[in-house]
Amino acid sequence: MAVSEQLKKISDSVWELPASYKQGMRVPARIVATEKLVREMDEAVYEQISNVATLPGIARYALCMPDGHSGYGFPIGGVAAMDVHEGGVISPGGIGFDINCGMRLVITNLTLDDVQPHLHQIVDRLYERVPAGVGSHGFLKLSRQDFRNLVEQGARWCIEHDYGWEDDLEVTEENGCISDADASKISERAIDRGYNQVGTLGSGNHYLEVQVARPEDVRDKQLAEKFGITIPNQVVVMFHCGSRGFGHQVATDYLQTFLKVMESKYGIKIFDRELACAPFESPEGRDYFAAMKCGLNMSFANRQVILHRIREVFSEIFGRSAEDLGMQMIYDVSHNTAKLEKHTVDGKKKTLLVHRKGATRAFGPGHDEVAARYRDIGQPVIIGGSMETGSYLLVGTASGGETFFSTAHGSGRTMSRTKARKQWHGKQLQRDLEARGIYVRSTSWAGLAEEAGAAYKNIDEVIAATELAGISKPVARFTPIGNVKG
Amino acid sequence: MNSDPFSPSSLITDHLSPMTLRTPITLVTGPLGSGKTTLLRHILATRPAKIAIVMNEFGEIAIDTKVIEGKNVRIAELGGGCVCCSLLGEFEAAVTEIIKKIAPEIIVVETTGLAEPEALVFNIQEALPECRLDGVVSVIDADMLVRFPELGHTTRLQIEGADILLLNKIDLVDAKQIEPLERKLREINPSTAIIRTERCQIDPELLFGIGRERKAATLEPGSTIPATTHKHQPEFESFTFSSDKTFSRDCFEGFAEALPKSVLRAKGFVRFPDSVQLFNFVAGRWELEPFETHRTELVFIGKGIAREKSAILHTLEKCTANKEKMISEP
Repeated sequence: MAVSEQLKKISDSVWELPASYKQGMRVPARIVATEKLVREMDEAVYEQISNVATLPGIARYALCMPDGHSGYGFPIGGVAAMDVHEGGVISPGGIGFDINCGMRLVITNLTLDDVQPHLHQIVDRLYERVPAGVGSHGFLKLSRQDFRNLVEQGARWCIEHDYGWEDDLEVTEENGCISDADASKISERAIDRGYNQVGTLGSGNHYLEVQVARPEDVRDKQLAEKFGITIPNQVVVMFHCGSRGFGHQVATDYLQTFLKVMESKYGIKIFDRELACAPFESPEGRDYFAAMKCGLNMSFANRQVILHRIREVFSEIFGRSAEDLGMQMIYDVSHNTAKLEKHTVDGKKKTLLVHRKGATRAFGPGHDEVAARYRDIGQPVIIGGSMETGSYLLVGTASGGETFFSTAHGSGRTMSRTKARKQWHGKQLQRDLEARGIYVRSTSWAGLAEEAGAAYKNIDEVIAATELAGISKPVARFTPIGNVKG
Repeated sequence: MNSDPFSPSSLITDHLSPMTLRTPITLVTGPLGSGKTTLLRHILATRPAKIAIVMNEFGEIAIDTKVIEGKNVRIAELGGGCVCCSLLGEFEAAVTEIIKKIAPEIIVVETTGLAEPEALVFNIQEALPECRLDGVVSVIDADMLVRFPELGHTTRLQIEGADILLLNKIDLVDAKQIEPLERKLREINPSTAIIRTERCQIDPELLFGIGRERKAATLEPGSTIPATTHKHQPEFESFTFSSDKTFSRDCFEGFAEALPKSVLRAKGFVRFPDSVQLFNFVAGRWELEPFETHRTELVFIGKGIAREKSAILHTLEKCTANKEKMISEP
């Protein structure tokens, strides 16, 4: 893909579209990537990120992470921090509709040799217990009132109902419950779409993987030890999912509201209607923020219930308790959010609403929002690759201020789903993967083809770009051996 | 949904008897506020068949009737076998439940303005062996195109994925602007049929029976085109043609190729010497596929085509081998 002539190289890992690139840009737009990754990006990303730079209140830069590609309004991989005291806006398109889509990682004290003989059984049982696919319902029977409580209390609700360990909350972003989530701000329709989906993976690129930390893939031994990754070929479980139909409905409801008031009431003019937004400090903006937080909590709860199922399955198969199997959770981190954070901009402390859509928060060591257990090493960052190429555990760095302490979230698609389906056949892919030691269960063969490794950017390159830019530091790479695909 | 993945839906499809009638699904897509709900209301008002409309929220359509609470879907009966549904669970499970309970002739699905139709198209083909995708109709707001000239990513995909594009709300824009807008849409999707509408007033005959998923189409043998009892809107005209004679295939193909631009849709059956074929024509693109029936029956729909009717039928008649009685009616 041709790189725009106006794209200025700032360093080997940072590229800039100046504010003169497009009329109305309030700040420059920056892409964090290596030259190779920039060249591979679709040009629509330039237009999208420069459109984001026109939004009221945007601070410093509109940013795109190395795994960026085009999405609804904002690119996926987009980061935009809005100064809420300077008319900064909140935009559903900057958060993503799968509110709090994110990653969770749990370790075991088992090795590849321990797990290999039981792998099919483990994956098959995980496939049964963690419903996947578009029509999936959870096993949790919640009333609408239960669900209202759950979206206000997040993963805390699950722990109180015996779906997990108290410790799990400590290593969940926001301790699994973001405050001021207000269920009175969500529609009945959103509840319809969510109350039977807690504990489900969903479809698309959502998955649950059994992975191995091979000794040669441990990139920082000391840090890995801090996370309990100490045994050669240690087995971990990683999964990726979000708030399902619930988050989608919340986003839809408020996009409709914002489209009505954006221009007529607040005089906000935008280039692309998909950037619909409202001032953060407005009744509509505040309502969406409170409703979006319900989406955050629903998703934390969803992943908490799934973790509980994973522990049950391992415990049943190995005939030992999850505690005995060392199934400690490492972390749970979102990559579709907007959160109020304090950042220093031009030497001044500011309260910014940081939109991260397909981007992961990555606070460095010492930050007071990092879980106490990790405060000296930095916030854990979990980045999922494609099912063929592997995934990473990283930590945030002190030098991440330029991106408001944000980093990549995955490897990012290089081709459309349609193209991937034309190129690969799901069943053949499954056989190929199995020949390479990866056992996959999927609800949809065509869906599996969509997720073929070659349909994604090279995860190693994405990780290298974030390391080069100083926004996150790799700890270990994990290779999948079993996968339940949503 | 969670059946054994080693018996994928493609295999299940193979096990279906070829006689099984698969329910056609039409997807209605388009950005938020473009007029999708208005279109559904309009379709319901004209009710071309026993139809099930799946919409995000049927509170948007005034319903004064009993609502049945299902497992995956909430169903409101509208009379005449038509229903309006809103999902409780997710799409596939809901559609399966609708087919089981209601057995509609047509399912129309309103997608949210945020949806990329591509994903849903695949879901229908992949996970719903009891259905076939009939077509994707995108509603685009002309006024929005003028006010937000930069097309969003998802809007673009909704335009790209459409078999039929309704350029809606043309009453809100300057007449001079319409043609440039059509050109813009055509640049993104050169093969689509673009129809200008106000408040989505369109003849539903234009929307259904596109037969996008042709290979999978297994229509009931011996069925006939449903009679169009509703009134066509003034700017669209239609006429039908039927005959017991046999047509020359080469000649008919030439006829299809030369149909005037004003004809937007034509569909029906044509009897050739060796077989009867289903003819399906959408804005210049057409296909023939085998179909078990006896007579030639065709319907033509387009703008101001009444004045071209005799010329069209004259050309068509020239393709018959023998002179028998022909019937044509307005």
